[in-house]
Amino acid sequence: MCLDDQILNTYLDGELAEPWKSQVEEHLSYCSSCRTRYQNLIALSNSVKASALTAEEIEPHQDRVLSMIEKNYLSKKGKRSFLHRQFKVSAPQMIGVAAAFVVVFVGSWSLFGHNGNKDNAIPLPEVNTSIDLNNITQTRSSDNATTSKSLETYSLDDILKNLDARGYDVDIRLKSIQPLSLSSSAAEVKVIAKVIEKNITITSDGLAKDAEGTIVATGVKLDDKGQIVASDGTVIFKASEVKVMETASEGAVAATITSAN
Amino acid sequence: MEIRSGDELTFRQVYGEVFPVLMRVAYHVTYNQDVAEDICQDAFIRFFDKDMVFPSMNDAKFWLIRVVKNLSINHVKRKMRETASLEKVMRGPQVNPFKDGSTELLLKESTAAVRKAVSELPEIYKTVIVLREYADLDYKEIAKVLKISESNVKVRVHRARKELEAKLDREEVNVP
Repeated sequence: MCLDDQILNTYLDGELAEPWKSQVEEHLSYCSSCRTRYQNLIALSNSVKASALTAEEIEPHQDRVLSMIEKNYLSKKGKRSFLHRQFKVSAPQMIGVAAAFVVVFVGSWSLFGHNGNKDNAIPLPEVNTSIDLNNITQTRSSDNATTSKSLETYSLDDILKNLDARGYDVDIRLKSIQPLSLSSSAAEVKVIAKVIEKNITITSDGLAKDAEGTIVATGVKLDDKGQIVASDGTVIFKASEVKVMETASEGAVAATITSAN
Repeated sequence: MEIRSGDELTFRQVYGEVFPVLMRVAYHVTYNQDVAEDICQDAFIRFFDKDMVFPSMNDAKFWLIRVVKNLSINHVKRKMRETASLEKVMRGPQVNPFKDGSTELLLKESTAAVRKAVSELPEIYKTVIVLREYADLDYKEIAKVLKISESNVKVRVHRARKELEAKLDREEVNVP
C-alpha cells in the first residue's frame, strides 16, 4: 500500500515519529511513484518558503517601528508618572501612616489653632532693597527656549493689548520705585531742607517728599540762595518758604526732572 | 532565561530576534506591508506596556505571534467585509494586489503566484501554513500558538498544501 499525502507531509516537516518514520523511508527507497509525489510536495513547500518576505523587505519596517517605540516608549519608561506607580503597602503600615497623619493634624491644630484669633493681620516681612550693580542680575529666559517667544520679547504695550484683547481689566501701578541716584547708599541720604507750609522734605538724594513720604519731585536741590530748584534751574520754592537743615553734598542730584508739579 | 517584557534591554533583545518572524506572519496573512508594520508595532507596544514575565524567549515569541496572528486575521476579516460591501456598490473589477507595478518588478512571477495562492486560502489553513512555512514553527509550536491539538495541525497542514497545489496548478494553466 502506498503512502498518503498526509503522512508524506508530516514526514516532510520532520514530524513523523518512529517507527513510522523508518517505514516511510524504506517505502520511499523502492516506490518511485511515492518518491515523485514526495518530491512534488517538497517542491511545493520550498516554493512557498521562497515566497517569504525577504530580510531586505523586512529591515526598513523593523527600523522604523523600533525608532517609533524608542521615541515614545523606551525613553519614557523611567519617567512613569507618580500616579501610575503601584504602591504595595501592608495593612499595619497603612495604619501607621494614618496614625501619623492624625498626630500631625491634631498637633498642628493645638500649636497654631489657638493663635488664629489673636493676630488676624499677616506679618509680612518688609523688604527694602536698594538697587545697585551688585544686586542686579541680568537673566535671559530665552536661553533655553529656542522656538517660542519669551515674555521679554514683547513690549509692555504688546502685553497690555494682548491682555485687553483677552478680556482682562488691567490696572498698572508702580510701587516702591525710587529713581536711581548717584548717592552710593541710603545711609548717606540726609534731610537737607524742609518746606514748612507744605510739609515737604528735601533730602540729599534730590527727592522731595510730602508728609506721607510720597515722592512729589525728583532731581531737586537746594541752591546757595536757600531756594529749592529743579535740575534745569527753575525755582520751585523760594528761600522764604524753605527751612535749611543741612547743606547738600556736591553732585547729589543726577536725575532730570524739570518741575515739582 | 526569564523574559520581562517591560525591561528595556530584554525588550530590545526580543525585538531583534522576533520582529522578522512577526513581520512575515503579519505580511503573509494580510499581504500588505504597511498594514503588517502597523500590526507588528501594535503587538510590540502591547508587549512592552503590559510588562509581563515569560519563562523563556520562545514563550514571549509565541505570545507575540499569537497577538500578531489575531490582529492580522481581524484586519483581513474587516477588509473582506469592506470590499464585499464596496463591491456591491461598485461592481467594479477586482484589483489583484500581487500584480501591481512595483511588486511585479520586484518579485518573480512564481513568488507572486504563491503569495496570491496563500492569500486566498481559508483562514484556518492560511494560519497553519503561514506559521509552518514563514514563521518556521513546528507542529507542537503551531498547536500552542493556535491553541489546537497537534493532530489538528497535521491535518490542516496537509489540507492547506493540497489546496495550494490545486490553486497553483490552476494558476499555471491560466498563465499565457
